[in-house]
Amino acid sequence: MNLSTREENGIVIFELDGEVDLETSPKLRQALLQQVNAGKSVCVGMQDVAYIDSSGIASLVEAYQTARRNSSGFGLACISDSAIRVLQLARLDKVFTIYDTIETAVSDLST
Amino acid sequence: MSIPTLASIALWGLSQDFNRTETSLFYLRSNTYIALHKVLLFVCIYFGHSTQMKQTTRESMTLGIDDQISLLATMTAEFANTLNVDETLLRTLPQITDYLKAEGAAVFLMDEATQVISCVACHGATEITGLTLEYGQGIVGKCVATNTGALVRDVNDHPDFYGAIDDQTGFVTRSILCAPLSVKDRCVGAIELVNKRNPDDLFEDNDLKILETLAASAALAVLNARMATALVEQERVKRELELAAEIQRRFLPEAGTGDTLTAPITGINKAARGVSGDFFDYFTLPDGRIYFGLGDVSGKGINAALLMSKTASLFRCLGKTVRDPGKLLGRINAELCETAAHGMFVTMACGIYDPREGCEGLIRLANAGHEPVLLYRDGAFSTYEAGGPPLGIVPPLPGENGAYEEVQIFPNGGSLYIYTDGLTEGYTETGAPLEDTGVQEILERHKDLSLQDQLKHLVAAVFHPGMKLRDDVTVLALTDGLRPADKTASPALSPSLRVDDESDGDWLIDFKFPAQPSWMKLARACVREACLKVGCDKTMTNDVVLAVDEACQNVIRHAYGGPSDEEIELSVRHRPARLIFRLRDFAPLVEPSKIKPRDLEDIRPGGLGTHLIKEVMDEVQYLRPTQGEGNLLKLVKHIHISKD
Repeated sequence: MNLSTREENGIVIFELDGEVDLETSPKLRQALLQQVNAGKSVCVGMQDVAYIDSSGIASLVEAYQTARRNSSGFGLACISDSAIRVLQLARLDKVFTIYDTIETAVSDLST
Repeated sequence: MSIPTLASIALWGLSQDFNRTETSLFYLRSNTYIALHKVLLFVCIYFGHSTQMKQTTRESMTLGIDDQISLLATMTAEFANTLNVDETLLRTLPQITDYLKAEGAAVFLMDEATQVISCVACHGATEITGLTLEYGQGIVGKCVATNTGALVRDVNDHPDFYGAIDDQTGFVTRSILCAPLSVKDRCVGAIELVNKRNPDDLFEDNDLKILETLAASAALAVLNARMATALVEQERVKRELELAAEIQRRFLPEAGTGDTLTAPITGINKAARGVSGDFFDYFTLPDGRIYFGLGDVSGKGINAALLMSKTASLFRCLGKTVRDPGKLLGRINAELCETAAHGMFVTMACGIYDPREGCEGLIRLANAGHEPVLLYRDGAFSTYEAGGPPLGIVPPLPGENGAYEEVQIFPNGGSLYIYTDGLTEGYTETGAPLEDTGVQEILERHKDLSLQDQLKHLVAAVFHPGMKLRDDVTVLALTDGLRPADKTASPALSPSLRVDDESDGDWLIDFKFPAQPSWMKLARACVREACLKVGCDKTMTNDVVLAVDEACQNVIRHAYGGPSDEEIELSVRHRPARLIFRLRDFAPLVEPSKIKPRDLEDIRPGGLGTHLIKEVMDEVQYLRPTQGEGNLLKLVKHIHISKD
């Protein structure tokens, strides 16, 4: 798993690629929580996520719940087929706000 | 009483008792012995004086003899009644010295192990207590070596005289009278007298005879005392052995505690000697299962008992954490190989009985070179032979745990018996050994009695009051007959906890890996390849990979309680239109009651994984491994072969 971070219009953009599993998800969880706890709105780009398991999904859920408590925004963008499949299986595809592109996510979250 | 009468009595005594007087009588310290000995002494003196009779009147001789008898009787009584020889010698030496009108006297005793002769008591002349002589050195050494008395009127003319002592002490020795302290051919030392007080007097033959007679008494006393010391030592060793046996008995579970009629397990140990080389033990694990074991150390006596204590301790200590009988025997074997005395070994059988509801009384048994374990079930006997060598002989190969083979037994209300060869090789009343057939006959005959009573009948077959046991006899019995009959309440096992039939399907993958997150990627790759190989489409492959990954994560999180070096075994089999995955762990058995479907709406981390598994897989079954401890998850995916 690789995780890159940048900021655009006050929105922190994470771009995830590779495999998010039990071994790598703690790193994702920590990075996400650090930003949402700081009150930042976060967008996670998931175009190149080849694999994500329940521990990766759980990290996203936790960050999403924390952001809601902090009244900051949290969205997922351009999710890969394999990742959206897992969200569907977990019945979470309707829970997250999901954008087609990072740009739409940034413009929506910064308003 | 006149002298001739005394003499005739003495002669009669001699003729009757001479052969055994010295050998058997010195074991006795009764008055009879002292009285008889006085008579013998008298005879010696009487005949000793006969050479002088010509020169003395009958009256003066009688007077002299009376004195001598009196002295000798006193001395003999002193010696015969003492166990503190040194003190008695010190007290009697002045009397002897005075009586024989010598300047000094000394007693030398020989250490029978080193043959060093040392002075243990002296009187008059010069203090030489502690002085040592070599065997055969000087007149005293020679006297001891040859077991013959010596009368040396002028030491200067004598080749054996050892002048060094005079040189050290400044004493001038002129003459020496020396008699061996001996009983028959066994010489333990010597009494030495030096110099007549009146320089003009000389030691006479008669003096030597008197001294020899006294020396004989003293020798008896010395041997008596040595035997007494040995007896005291023997008694001490015996007491220590009794204490050791008592401590050993406490290693065994106490018979009679609890209700032996309703206890599912009991044992009996009968030692052939005070201490035993056998042991049995059992204890309940925190989850309610019962660990039991029985061992037999090669040999008998204290060395076997010590090794038994060690093995029993290892069993109890390691058994608390190593909950696989086969692995436990492996661990004990490794310990014993490291430290046990060469040539000693232990045969042992141990197992875990699961009386919990829904577990069917499963017994997992391992046998290290021990007698076959006997199961009586549904009116028939079956035996479980040793699955490996005795403990303490073959060390495990480097890097291997050396676990012993394990068998699973469903006792179905029957009983299990483990016993040592002391039972099967023990003699019955007819004189023939009991053998396995005898054991089975007795158990069959008394099958309706309580376990404890059955075992008593077994032991009674080879233990006859007043007779010594041939070998230690130990028996341990376990019955499944007292467990609440869950097999009628819930037919056999709950459907979710069946023993797996591993023989289904074509082999695709067997992969064993540590329960670590870093290994998951490789596990996924294996599953992915297996799916692709049998023609699964991309989505199904991804789903299956996810489900198996989640199952592995559950093992890491919930069975092992976090990442662990313990292993996960993954096997994948292919049957027409289905893939079968088995995931095996070696964590403590998950209680059947705790295995229940999770709420599908619950999205907790663990719950989410389980939910994903159920979403993806067509069958999810929690099973029991056919061998050893742990849990087995069987996942089945119905597959649709992709067209492209």
